[in-house]
Amino acid sequence: MPELDSQALASLDAESRKEIMQWIDSENSKAKVQSSIHNFTDMCWKKCVTKDITSNMLDTTESNCMTNCLQRFLDTNINVVKLIQAAQK
Amino acid sequence: MAFGLFGGSSNTDSDKTASPVPVAPLSTSTLGANAAQAKKLIQEQISQELAIANATELVQKITENCFQNCVKNPGSTIDAAQKKCTEQCFEKYMHGWNLVSRAYITRIQQSKYDI
Repeated sequence: MPELDSQALASLDAESRKEIMQWIDSENSKAKVQSSIHNFTDMCWKKCVTKDITSNMLDTTESNCMTNCLQRFLDTNINVVKLIQAAQK
Repeated sequence: MAFGLFGGSSNTDSDKTASPVPVAPLSTSTLGANAAQAKKLIQEQISQELAIANATELVQKITENCFQNCVKNPGSTIDAAQKKCTEQCFEKYMHGWNLVSRAYITRIQQSKYDI
């Protein structure tokens, strides 16, 4: 991959800069979502996969647990936000 | 400024020679090409860094969790059962990741429409 040099960066016009900033913003939000998914998977795996591993698939109990874990975590998140909002009043 | 704005379809060869100005102010077409090239490079580099960060994170999480699940009593070596367990754990974790990913993205999209 060729290196970016400062001259090439300096040659960017305002329009290109704007486009790149927008692109970076959208990549940033995608990266944040991905990072959350890593954390949720990690957290829910620890809660849900407690038996010895004998298969490369999640069984029904485990996959239900993973889904419930995620959904209830997000519910809890919303509830905490509401509690904080209420506490501020 | 007036020439070479429209995609450089007509006089590609004369563009370079026609400009009487030596180096300093780049002609519009050259600037356009440089900017497009720079933009592409920036995007490629950032994409690659993000992909590496994502892969690193995944390796980290899978190693931690599968080590926890599969290597309960670390001995002088990884035995066959632990290796097999790690292989299964790896695939299983990926399935879990995909499951969480799909459910989370669906929920984000739903809440977007709710608001």
